Amino acid sequence: MKNLMKIVPALAFAAGVQAFSPALADSHSEMSCGMNTGKAATGEPIKVGGINGNAPPGDFSGGTDAAAAYFACVNANGGINGRPIEYIVENDQWNPELAGQVGTKLVKDEGVVALVGNGSVVSMAVNAKLYADEGVMAMASACAISECYESSNIVSTNQGPLPSGIGALKFAIEELGTEHAACIGFNIPNNGGWACDWMNRYMESKGKKGTSILMDPTAVDLNSVYLQALAERVDTILLMLPAGPAIGLLKVAEEQGGRDLFKWVSPTPIYEPGVGEVLGDYWSGHLYVNIELAQYDSDGADNRNWAAVTAKYGKEGDRLDTFSQSGFISAKFFTDALLTLDPDKIDRATVTEAIKGIVGVESDLLCGPYYVGDADRHMPNHAGRMVVYKDGGFETVRDCYDIDTAYLDPIREQEKALGLSQ
Amino acid sequence: MLNVYGLFLVSGLAVGSLYALGGIGLVILRRSTGVLNFAYGAIAAASAMICWQVVQWGMPGPIAWIVTILTGISLSVLYGRMIAPSLAWRAPTVKAVATLGYTLILLGLIGFVWDDSPRKLELPTDKIGVWILGVRVTVTRLIAFASSIVIVIGVILFFNRTRIGLNMRALADNRDHAALLGIPVIRVETMAWTLSGALAGYTGLLFGDLVRLDPTVITFMVIPATAAAICGRLESLPLTLVGGLAIGVIEAMLALYKPLAPLRSMTPFIVAGCVILWMQRGQHLTFVQGD
Repeated sequence: MKNLMKIVPALAFAAGVQAFSPALADSHSEMSCGMNTGKAATGEPIKVGGINGNAPPGDFSGGTDAAAAYFACVNANGGINGRPIEYIVENDQWNPELAGQVGTKLVKDEGVVALVGNGSVVSMAVNAKLYADEGVMAMASACAISECYESSNIVSTNQGPLPSGIGALKFAIEELGTEHAACIGFNIPNNGGWACDWMNRYMESKGKKGTSILMDPTAVDLNSVYLQALAERVDTILLMLPAGPAIGLLKVAEEQGGRDLFKWVSPTPIYEPGVGEVLGDYWSGHLYVNIELAQYDSDGADNRNWAAVTAKYGKEGDRLDTFSQSGFISAKFFTDALLTLDPDKIDRATVTEAIKGIVGVESDLLCGPYYVGDADRHMPNHAGRMVVYKDGGFETVRDCYDIDTAYLDPIREQEKALGLSQ
Repeated sequence: MLNVYGLFLVSGLAVGSLYALGGIGLVILRRSTGVLNFAYGAIAAASAMICWQVVQWGMPGPIAWIVTILTGISLSVLYGRMIAPSLAWRAPTVKAVATLGYTLILLGLIGFVWDDSPRKLELPTDKIGVWILGVRVTVTRLIAFASSIVIVIGVILFFNRTRIGLNMRALADNRDHAALLGIPVIRVETMAWTLSGALAGYTGLLFGDLVRLDPTVITFMVIPATAAAICGRLESLPLTLVGGLAIGVIEAMLALYKPLAPLRSMTPFIVAGCVILWMQRGQHLTFVQGD
């Protein structure tokens, strides 16, 4: 039993996803995993690792949950040419010391061929060098810090705060008339500091103004953070925060009647199951969110497959959020890469080469082609969609669009060299 | 500009009253049992989460509020009766550190029972507000501010005018002497843990509503609450109230000074440090007294 109270909302959400789109209701018949043989793999297991962070103050286990479900489905359908995937997941509990221990355990002791679905920002920062030194790739799914996107051996399927935040600002400038935006983020150098700094540069590049308002992650006085934005005379607030504090700030703004004083935009974190019940009617039609992957109820084949696989092979209490979609598609791309290998010659070196050889694969969950390549940094997903919070749910107001920021210059060079364009 | 200062002053007082409420709960227990209860925030967090859960189960608000207070009392008395007596003759530091263990247990249990999905705690008084110096202050915030003052006055009267209050003070001064005098130690201590637990539940309810329903944030509210209590030398309730309010106002005002704005969370530590230095002025340091 993962926990008591997770089960009810998780089941309710799963039921909601199923009910929301009739196309998803019969998605079991469309389930697709790996070789699709319908026969369980019985050969020598291939060890794959995954590290998440699941302890107060946050649960980032959605990516590894979905990857585990997909690998279970792959194993039930022929595995990797007969070899099952043994997926070993560790929880670093946001503890840097523990993150180092579990990273070493997986990479050195267990000898995993790769890591998939990773969702701990602490582990990412601690183990980036280990992965590079040991020549093992991490196909992550829940990154939010600079190390995730500026390391040779980590490639994340989710965008993280930087592209998603800039995507939100791009929409705000073009559709809402934003001139001066406040980026409210955590006072963490490789998270809020990093992302808000690039937000401001983006605003300057557009002839607009950006202001960073950084706060401690456990800050109590959200009222003053709101008032600070008011004192800065900004016209737009970008909530570069996890869902909890962002909702706290929105509540303060509601208290102050601040909805119409600003335009309100946010990167993905606030796009979360159940957020509608928390936000209520007040914000309906006034909160715009950039989402990194497709909507939960979208009708694409991979999204339907995600819903079907997690429903059948997931565990009670698994999180079904953007990180879950991201972990699912990371696991799918990984599996597809492994299926190109001779099953007798699967080891870390061949797997790393196969992952780096992923170029231009597509999914309806993403807005552009996914790729890895051999580079000192990776950010394959930087185009997103914009939704508006409305009547307790989210409606798409702009479909796939890319961003233009100097941060992506080295990424564009990679894409050009690989013959890709987004 | 005056208007801007007014905005932040009112905002700071609203948050400061929450710090003060936490500090008052700590001081009451400290004065009665000699225990500095670092688990106060975790008890408040658990109470707030229970309140949310009861509301989710469809119970009316007043029932949820009562359950919140009862949760605070239960968790506080549980520690006060089961663990605290066996540490009664240990040094104050040992007693305080033991409550940290209880904090971790409660925080772990909260994380086990509830995931980190977004949640919101609402009170009917959130929808009603008045404008003070350009800031809309909800009735909930006014209740937090007023109740911190009322509780200080009430507890002072309780300590000074009632027999049980007298017993509590005697117990805090010297547990052995109090027992020899025939004071029912366990009963009086249980009363103190009950009072402190009720306040923790109440503080958790207000914190969950006014700040955010995040167990970690509510748990670590004990830090500014302890700073407020230190301002009152862990004894004086009026000074604790003033300390809590001052910390809240200074923290809010620092938002106006950009270089220090991201460091506002240091305010409780700096204020507590300055107060300790002020209290120790003219005294010799402990380790050089024998020279």
